[in-house]
Amino acid sequence: MTTPAPLVIENLNFRYHSRETLAIKNISLSVEAGQVLLIAGASGCGKTTLARCINGLIPRSYKGELSGKILLNDKEVKDLSLAQVSQIVGTVLQDPERQILGTKVANEVAFGLENLTLPREEIRERVAEALEHLKIAHLMYRDTFNLSGGEKQKVALAGVLAMRPSILLLDEPLASLDPASAQDALAIIRSLADEGMTVLMVEHRVEDVLRIHPENAIFMMDGEIRYYGPTSGFDKTVDYHEVKLPAGMIMERARDDPAPERLTTLRQDSMVGMGKTPGEPLVKFENVSFWYEPDRLVLHDINLTINRGDVIAVLGPNGAGKTTLVKHAIGLLKPKSGSMSVEGKDTKEVSVANIARTLGYVFQSPSHMLFAPTVEEELAFGPQNLKHPADQIKQDVADAIKIVNLAGLEKFPPLALSFGQQKRVSIASVLAMQSKILVMDEPTAGQDYKNYLSFMDAILQLPGFEAILFITHDIDMAVIYANRVLMVNDGTVVCDASPAEALNDFDFLRQNRLIPTSLLKTNLDYLPKTGRFYSAEELAHVVH
Amino acid sequence: MLVSWRYRKRDSLLQSFDPRAWIIFFSCFLASTLFFWDFRYLLFFLTIALVSILTSGIKWKEMARAWIFIIGFILFFSFLTFLTGRGGMELYTTEHTLAKLAASFKIFGWTPTLHITAERTMFALSMLVRVFSIASMTILIPYSLNPAHYGITFRGLGLPDKIAYGMDLTMRFIPTFGRDFSLTMDAQKARGYEIEKLSGGLFAQVRKLAPLIVPVTIHAIAGSEDIIDAMDLRAFGVGPRTWLEKLTYRKRDRVLIVVGVVILLLSIALSLLGYGKFWVPGFMLG
Repeated sequence: MTTPAPLVIENLNFRYHSRETLAIKNISLSVEAGQVLLIAGASGCGKTTLARCINGLIPRSYKGELSGKILLNDKEVKDLSLAQVSQIVGTVLQDPERQILGTKVANEVAFGLENLTLPREEIRERVAEALEHLKIAHLMYRDTFNLSGGEKQKVALAGVLAMRPSILLLDEPLASLDPASAQDALAIIRSLADEGMTVLMVEHRVEDVLRIHPENAIFMMDGEIRYYGPTSGFDKTVDYHEVKLPAGMIMERARDDPAPERLTTLRQDSMVGMGKTPGEPLVKFENVSFWYEPDRLVLHDINLTINRGDVIAVLGPNGAGKTTLVKHAIGLLKPKSGSMSVEGKDTKEVSVANIARTLGYVFQSPSHMLFAPTVEEELAFGPQNLKHPADQIKQDVADAIKIVNLAGLEKFPPLALSFGQQKRVSIASVLAMQSKILVMDEPTAGQDYKNYLSFMDAILQLPGFEAILFITHDIDMAVIYANRVLMVNDGTVVCDASPAEALNDFDFLRQNRLIPTSLLKTNLDYLPKTGRFYSAEELAHVVH
Repeated sequence: MLVSWRYRKRDSLLQSFDPRAWIIFFSCFLASTLFFWDFRYLLFFLTIALVSILTSGIKWKEMARAWIFIIGFILFFSFLTFLTGRGGMELYTTEHTLAKLAASFKIFGWTPTLHITAERTMFALSMLVRVFSIASMTILIPYSLNPAHYGITFRGLGLPDKIAYGMDLTMRFIPTFGRDFSLTMDAQKARGYEIEKLSGGLFAQVRKLAPLIVPVTIHAIAGSEDIIDAMDLRAFGVGPRTWLEKLTYRKRDRVLIVVGVVILLLSIALSLLGYGKFWVPGFMLG
């Protein structure tokens, strides 16, 4: 007799009470012990709903109509209590910051076990074992708040593993990690599967996940499974616009499609700094150093000029000083030594509001800034603060809405929009201020592949900006969009060059916790022929 | 950082007690202090507070900001009380003038005059001592109680699991909240928002705080959904909890609790007997 698969789903349908349409339709699948199943798809495809059905949050915390069957070790989820489900399915949510509940690492890992009323001694043993297993025993007595993103992810995972589940469910586990930490996390996940764990991984960074060779893959769209089978057949079926595939696969598929629009518009001539003398200095860092405590420098003697026409990608590991660096540009932080000027004005002598007239800063998360009752009022907030005349504000707001493609949503509350739309509102609110320089912190974070490409395409085609600078973890963003790369590590700029020069030494990249991607490698292979970097889709047409 | 206080393990009198014992003692102290307006009685409570501070092992540098804020606040209000006699009227009915300072100028026919009376002076002094004692005992707590122990402390004091864990969660998310707040502040500053330039009436000022308050609140609400999911997924609230930490009362803890309760009972008794009311030394009345 064969043992049943740990997870079997038959004809699963679910509709949230608040919605008209089904969130997932006719889902059937089964996963064997020791296997990794990749669940990919763009946002809104139903992958999170599927995950909630498996871990029991649906229908317990999220109400709606559920039909079909989910079997965990041959028992139906609906017959199990949440406490029982939690010992079979361990779930790691997308944002570790929001799921770590303990102040200290040991308390966090112990949380689930405490709730199960296990004896104190057993809890201690299991906590130590889980931390040991993930090689983070040294973190046991640390404060959870001060951990790095990668450490937080591992601590969250340890908290789930301590409950000894047989199925591990990971919801976009790579979203907040830098490339090296992501690779680390993936290696751990593979080894857990090899030890017999059943792993389900919801992720749109398919290229990264493919490195650990998931046995099977699912591609979801509109709540349905479009592909389900061995990973080897995955690339033939999925839409390469929706999820991020390795560059080679995209090129093969894109060859037969018409050339991307980007090739003809964006590449002809960048809109950035158009119509004015290029190369003129806009922002200047002169021997800038910064520290919170004098014995620990966060920035060390930075010399840097941002010129008209620059599209700069700032790369580097977490905690390297990237955000500190760009916060100096808008005067939110002032240099402790050295000096800093924007269009010739020393940032120590003018207010942040004054600098905001020339330099627009878009923060990583739109929800940290959106507050107004309507999109229109949200966009008018900045220009009003800058005391622009009323009729000019009206015109600029209208223009900004058109540019970011939010027409029709003027009267909508920004907080009710989707994440991608909120992101566009946050950009538009800076556009309406008529800034010449656009600075963005992780502009693509939290957006799926398809959305972030179209988002970046749109920004680079905007008229009016004289320079753009963005912080990113994603090397491919630098490859596709930047004309200059700044690599920051340990508070200094370790490299400042064109993408082709900055990214060709893989050892150097790894020292800076960056992992060369297939797109970078392919671009470097074709570089003698192309002379510059392109997206995979473009390459397919440029090299043939 | 908004939240700059930090717990550290220190070799101090306060930390040598079980946190539950200290919380009980602190509550007794707090309640007892409120019974008295007599400067002489209040000196007793001030002494307890001073001993606690001086043996706390917390360096001046660590608490400087908190102290400056509290001292500034207390001095300001005590001084205000002194100038106006505000608030003291319920405690005394007659005033004995010590000095009368009249300004040498007139504003619209009115001569600003400062009445220094024995009652106002003593009331301001008593208030200063009272508030200082309470405030200083209170701010010692976040520096001295291990944040990982809040939950078990309140569980140990008899609160149900869910409420006690709520204390742990609060400690966990205060820094997250602080960071969200400073991020929002920076994001709005980058849009030309200047909180220093708030103007208008109270209502208008609150309205102008919306760019800060709304995002921070929304963020907290959105985040709490994830937090609840995370708790559900790890079986929170299905039965009685084991708490990883275990607190045990030792002899000194029992002594501290007894001392606290005795102080409270004595205070109640004294105040019922009519002792400890507002007092002005005889020489000031002469």
